Amino acid sequence: MEVTGMLTGAQLLAHVGFPATEVLGPDASEDQIQAMIDGHGLVFVKPVFRGGVGMKGKAGLIGRARDLRTALAEKERLYFAEHRHGNATAKANGVTFEAGVPAEHEIYFSITDDTRYRAPTMTITHRGGVDIEELDKTEIASIPFDALTGLKAFVVANALTDIGAPKEVISPLVQHLPKLWELMHHYGMTTLELNPIRMRPGKEGRLTPIACDFKCGFDRDDPRVGRLGLPPHLFAADISDFEQEVNQLRTHQGQSDVFVINEAGSILAPTFGGGANSLVTEVLGEAAIISSDFGGNPPYEKMKAVAAICYRHFLKQTNVLFIIGGKSNNTDILETFRGMGDALREHFSKHGPVPLYVVVGRGGPNLVRGMGNLADTLDSLGVPYRFFGFDSAISEVVNYAKRIDDWMRAGGREQIARSMNIAA
Amino acid sequence: MRQQAISGLPYFLGLDRLEAIASPEDRVCVLNILGGESRTVTPVSNAFSGGNVVFGTSPGRSGQVLKTPAGDIPVFNTVLEGIRAGHSFNTGVVYLPPAGVRDGVAELIRVNPDLRKIVIITEKIAVHDAREIRAMAQANGIDVIGGNCLGVADSWNRVRIGGALGGDHPEESLVKGSVAIFSNSGGFTTTIAQYLTTAGWGTTTLISSGKDVYIQYAARDFALAFAKDQRSKAGVLYAEPGGYYEKNIDWQKPVVACVVGRWKAKLTRAVGHAGAMAGSGDSAEDKERWFMEAFGVGGIYTPETPHVSAKGALVTNIADIPAALTAVMALNGIQPDFAPRGSLSLKPWIANDQGLTLPPDLVLPTVVAPAPYDEQIAVRSQQIGAVMARQSMKDASGASLMDPQTQVTSVHGHRVLDLALQPLEAMFALPLVHEIADAHDRALLDVAVAAEVNLVGDPILLAADAARDAGNSPNTVMSVAAAITGPRRVERALACARALITLFAQSGLCDGRDDDFDVSDISVDDETRALFLATPEDADDPRPEAMLAAIKARGGKSVFLRFLLGFDQRLSRDAILAAITTTIAWGPLARKRISRLTAETLPWYLRLYGVMVGATIPGEHHRSGSLWGIPREERFSHWTMADICCLAMTGKKPDPTEALYVQILIGLLISNGPGSITAQGAKGAVSADGPQTPGRVQINKAMVGFLTHSGYSHGGNGFEGMAFLLEQFRGKGLKDPTDPAHGLDLTAMAREFALAYKREKAQAKELGTEVRALPGVHHPVFKGKSENFDPRERFIAKFMEERGEYNVFHRFYRELVRQLYEVGASRYVFCVNVDAIIAALLLAVLWKDHQAGNMTDRNLETAAFTIFLFGRMIGAAAEIDDHLNRGRNMDTRTPASACKHVV
Repeated sequence: MEVTGMLTGAQLLAHVGFPATEVLGPDASEDQIQAMIDGHGLVFVKPVFRGGVGMKGKAGLIGRARDLRTALAEKERLYFAEHRHGNATAKANGVTFEAGVPAEHEIYFSITDDTRYRAPTMTITHRGGVDIEELDKTEIASIPFDALTGLKAFVVANALTDIGAPKEVISPLVQHLPKLWELMHHYGMTTLELNPIRMRPGKEGRLTPIACDFKCGFDRDDPRVGRLGLPPHLFAADISDFEQEVNQLRTHQGQSDVFVINEAGSILAPTFGGGANSLVTEVLGEAAIISSDFGGNPPYEKMKAVAAICYRHFLKQTNVLFIIGGKSNNTDILETFRGMGDALREHFSKHGPVPLYVVVGRGGPNLVRGMGNLADTLDSLGVPYRFFGFDSAISEVVNYAKRIDDWMRAGGREQIARSMNIAA
Repeated sequence: MRQQAISGLPYFLGLDRLEAIASPEDRVCVLNILGGESRTVTPVSNAFSGGNVVFGTSPGRSGQVLKTPAGDIPVFNTVLEGIRAGHSFNTGVVYLPPAGVRDGVAELIRVNPDLRKIVIITEKIAVHDAREIRAMAQANGIDVIGGNCLGVADSWNRVRIGGALGGDHPEESLVKGSVAIFSNSGGFTTTIAQYLTTAGWGTTTLISSGKDVYIQYAARDFALAFAKDQRSKAGVLYAEPGGYYEKNIDWQKPVVACVVGRWKAKLTRAVGHAGAMAGSGDSAEDKERWFMEAFGVGGIYTPETPHVSAKGALVTNIADIPAALTAVMALNGIQPDFAPRGSLSLKPWIANDQGLTLPPDLVLPTVVAPAPYDEQIAVRSQQIGAVMARQSMKDASGASLMDPQTQVTSVHGHRVLDLALQPLEAMFALPLVHEIADAHDRALLDVAVAAEVNLVGDPILLAADAARDAGNSPNTVMSVAAAITGPRRVERALACARALITLFAQSGLCDGRDDDFDVSDISVDDETRALFLATPEDADDPRPEAMLAAIKARGGKSVFLRFLLGFDQRLSRDAILAAITTTIAWGPLARKRISRLTAETLPWYLRLYGVMVGATIPGEHHRSGSLWGIPREERFSHWTMADICCLAMTGKKPDPTEALYVQILIGLLISNGPGSITAQGAKGAVSADGPQTPGRVQINKAMVGFLTHSGYSHGGNGFEGMAFLLEQFRGKGLKDPTDPAHGLDLTAMAREFALAYKREKAQAKELGTEVRALPGVHHPVFKGKSENFDPRERFIAKFMEERGEYNVFHRFYRELVRQLYEVGASRYVFCVNVDAIIAALLLAVLWKDHQAGNMTDRNLETAAFTIFLFGRMIGAAAEIDDHLNRGRNMDTRTPASACKHVV
C-alpha cells in the first residue's frame, strides 16, 4: 500500500499543514495550466502511477514546460507512459502539473522504522533532490528517536547541525519537519519520504520548505489509515481481484494472506505458517499459482470461505491441490482440513469436478482426524491423494508435489479425468 | 521497576542468558486468557510447565476460571484486580486482539512493579503500536518477545510460555538436548526441533521471535544470551529477508543459519510474515552473505555441497539443518545428544490413488506413522468404504444431476446418453457401485437377477396378478411386489453380505475377483459359517446349484464364493447372492467409492430388481424351472438383463438389435435428477424412515415411493407418442420400420398432417379452445431458434447414423417438424424431443408383434409404461442409496413458511 506523487501527497501534507507545491490533476484545463505557468514560470509534468513507483526522473518520465504548448506535448507523451521498476511494469493513467519552485536548497527527508535501531528514524540531508545513496555518508544524518515523544525540533536541529547544513535552512526545517511525524505516526504510515523539499525564499529572504515530491507506505494492519479517507482505487494496482477477495477475510484470527505468483501455475498450495510459506513458495517456483499463509488457527467457516475463493479462481487450472505446512502448533488440523474438504465438495457440486491430485504435508493438533476427514471427502469425490505426516521433510513433500504435477502434465491429468469421467 | 540491563549495549536488554527466557521460576499472567486461542493453548502450556500461570484477565469475566490439567486458573477483570487478590507474576503473555495489544502492554508495565518480560502472541499488530510498545518497554526496562510469535519454551525445564510451541503435545518436539533455536517462524520453531531429533539433537531454549517489522527480541539479543548459556553447545537460526537483525553478529558458538525467501524479492507487499520484505541491502541473498562471512564458508550447505566450518553453516532448506548441524559439530568434536529418531524421508501415512496407474516412483507405499498416530490411523483404516457427511438432501442429490441447459442428466458422473450405450447390467449396477461394471461383474449380475425373476410359488405372484386383474397401472402392480420384498425377505442375504465384509475387511483384499488371493487366513466361527449354509427349508430350492453352475459357465470369479465353497457344504441362495454382490462391490468399497452401508444393502437392491421385473410378467408364465417357456439353465447361464427386460415386455427373447434399443431406451429413462417426481417419491420414503438410523430404512418401501410417484402422466405418457405414430402409419402397409426401403412418402405424410394441424389450430383459435399438443414435438427449453434440437435426440440420431440404422418413425418426426414450419403451422422448426425418440424406438421394436395382432394397443401402452419403470428403477435405486447415505431424518419436509394456502 504505497502512494507516490504530489497529486495525493499534497492532500495528505495538508492534513498537518506542511507546505506543498501547487498541483493540477489530469483533468486540468488549458487555462489552469497557463495560469500555473504564468504564476510560477515553470511546470513539471509527471505521469500518475498507482502504488509505489520510484525512479521516474531517471527514466526520463518527468517533463518540464515553460509554455502551454510544451506542457500539452509532455502531457501527451506521459499520459500513458510505461515504467519498469524492479520486477514490475507500471502503466500511467494521467499526468499531474506541478508548479516549479525556485530554490537554492533541496532537502531530502524521510521517516521510517529502522531495524538497526528498532525505532522510528529520521534521515535527512541538505543535498537532496538526488538518489541519496549517491551521497557521502557524512552528508546524511540518520537519527533514531523516541516513538513516545516523537520527532522533536531539537532532533532536527542537532542533525542538521551535525551534517553542516546551511544556517538559513535550519530554522524553517526545525519549524516544519516535526509535523511530518504527526502525519506518519497518526495516519498509519510505515514510511514517509519527501525528496526534494525545495526551500523557497519569501519576503525578507526567509525560506519556506515546499514539498515537491512525495512517497509513503501504509500499514494495512493499521486502522488509522482510514482516517485519511483515501479512495480504495489508489491501492488497486497492488492487488488482483483474487487477492482482494481473500484479503477481505483478513483478521488476526487466522491468516488470509495471499499473493498471486503465477496466473498460469498448476499447483494450488494453501500453505500454513509464514515459514512454510517462505519455503514452499521458494521450492515450488513457477509451478505455484499463489503464495499464501493461512495459518494462525483459522476457524472452520473462515477456512472454508478462503478455500472456496481459491478454488473458484484457480481450481480449473490446478493439477495438484497441495495442502502444506510444518508441524502446526495451534492450528487445528481437523477444522482446517474439514473446511477445505467441504469447500472442495461444494465446488465440485456447483462448478463440476476437475481432475486433481491432492498432496498433503502437515502435522499438528487433531492430525489424523483431520486427514481422515479429508480422505473421506476425497474418496467420495474420486480424487486421488497422498498424505504425508510431519515426519517427512517439508521440502521433500514439496518436491513430491512437483513430481505429481509433472506427471499430471504428461498425461496424468487425462488419466484422472477418465477415471472421474470428466473432461481433462 | 527498571531491571538490571546488560552493560555495554546501546539499548536495554535484561535477558542475559537463555535459561532466563523460560525458567521454572517465571510466574505468568495471561491477558485475554479466555480468548479463542488462549483457551486452547494456555491449558497445555500451564500443564507442561507444572502450573506457572497465576491468573489471567478478561474484562467482565472476573470470577471465572480457565480449567487446566494443572488446576484452575483464576480470571480477573484487570491485572490490578489480580494483583490486589494477592497474585504476583514477572511475565505477561498477551493474547489480546491487535488493537488492544499496546494498551495491554501499558497495563502490565504500569501496574506490576515485578514485571520482567512480556510475550506477545498477537499477530497483525500495527507498526504504530509496535513502535510505542518498544519505546515503553525500553523506557521501563522490560524485555518483550514477539509479537506475531509463538512464545518461548525450555526443553530442559519443561517450561512453555506464551504460544503453542510443540502444539498440543509439547513433549513430542521439546526434547532435551544441546541446541538453542531462534526462529522468525513459529511453525518452524517446532518443525526444526522435530527435524533435529532425526539426527539425534535435542534442544535447550526455543524462541519464536515473530517476523513483524519490529522484532522485539531479535537475533542479536539471542546471540548474547546464547553465548552465556552453559547448556547450549550450538544454535539454529531461521531467518527471512527484511531487516538488519542478523547483520554483524558475533556468534561465539557454532550456529546453523537457515535463510529462506529469495523469491520474496518478487513481492510488492508482505505475505505471512509482515516484516519479511526486503528493503535495500537486507534481501535473502544479503542475509546469506552475512552468515557465510560470519562462518567463513564459501557457499550454501546442501548434501551435495557440504560447505561447513567449525563456526557454522548456512542452509536454505530447513530439511538440511540436521545434517549441517551434525557436520558443524563434528568439526567441533561434539557428537549428537542421542541416537537419531526416525528420518525425514518421504513417508506417506494415508494414500488412495483411486485405482489409477501412477509411475512407480510416485506410488510411494504408506508407512506406519510414529506413535500415537499409528494407532489412530489403524483405527481409521479399519473403517472400510467411504464415509459421507450427512446433510439435508431435500431437492439435492449426490447421485444425479440434470444440466438445466441441455436437460441431460448424469448419474454418478455419467451422462444418461453415455449410459444408454452401456450394457443394461452396467446401468443396473451403477447406482450401487458408482462405477461402470466390467464384463465379468455384469455376468455375475445377470446371474443374481435372473435368480430372482421367476416368482413361481411366491405369494408376490398372486398379489401382483390380483393387482393387475384389478385394473391397476403397471407401476401399481410392481409396487405390490416391491412392498412384499420387505426386510425379512432379505434379512439373511444382508446378514451374509455384512458377514463377508467383516471377514475380509482387514484382509488386504483389493479385488473381489482375485484368483490368487489366499483365503486360508480368513477364519470364521461356527455361527457365522451357519449363516451361509442352506437350511432344511431351502431343500427344495433348486437355484443355489443353478446359480453356481451359471457362474461357472460364465467364467465368474469370486474370492468370496471360493471362500464359501471351501466350507464344502450346501450354500443358500442368499449366501450366493451376497457373495456376488460383495464381489461386485469390493473394488469400489476398497477404493472408498461406496460406503459399507451401500455394499451391505446391495443384495436387497438386486432382489428388488429381479422381483420387480418378474412381477411385470403375468403369473401364468411363471413355471417351475421356466419363465415364459425359457428354461432356468438358459436364463441363468446365457441371458442378459436386457433379454429378461425384453421378455417381460414382449414375451420373447429379443434379437441383438432389439435388445440394444431396449437398452438405449432404458438408459435414456434412468433419471431426470432429484427434482423429478419419481426421485422425490423415493427420497421422501427414505427421509420418512430416517436415514440417520439406516438399519430402519426399508429400501423396498422407498422403491414403492418411486412407484407411487409415477403414473399415467409421469411414465405412462410414453404411449402418447406411439399412439400418435400408430395413427399416422395406420393402413400405410408399413412392414419393417427399420427398412429404409419402406416405400412411403414421409414428406407427403408429414405435410398432410401439418396442413390438417394448421387448420385445426386456426379453428381452435376461432372457437377459443385449446390446441391439442403434439406428443414428441417441441420442448420448453429447446425453442426459440430458427431450427431447434433436443441434444438427446441428436445424440441418438447420430448413434443410429453411425451404425447405419434406420427408424422410419424417427424420420417421420423429423419431416413433421419441418413441414409444420413450412406450412406455417409453427413459427420456427420445432425440436423433436426425447419422448419422440422413445416412442419411435419402442414402436419399432414392437411393430411386428403389433401388426401381427400379438400385441394390442393396451399391450403397447403397458410396454411403454414398463420400460419407463425399468429405467427409472435404476435412477430410484441411485437416489435411495444416496439419500440413505447422506440424508438426515425427515429432511425432505418443506417448512410451513414456504407452503402456500389457496382458496
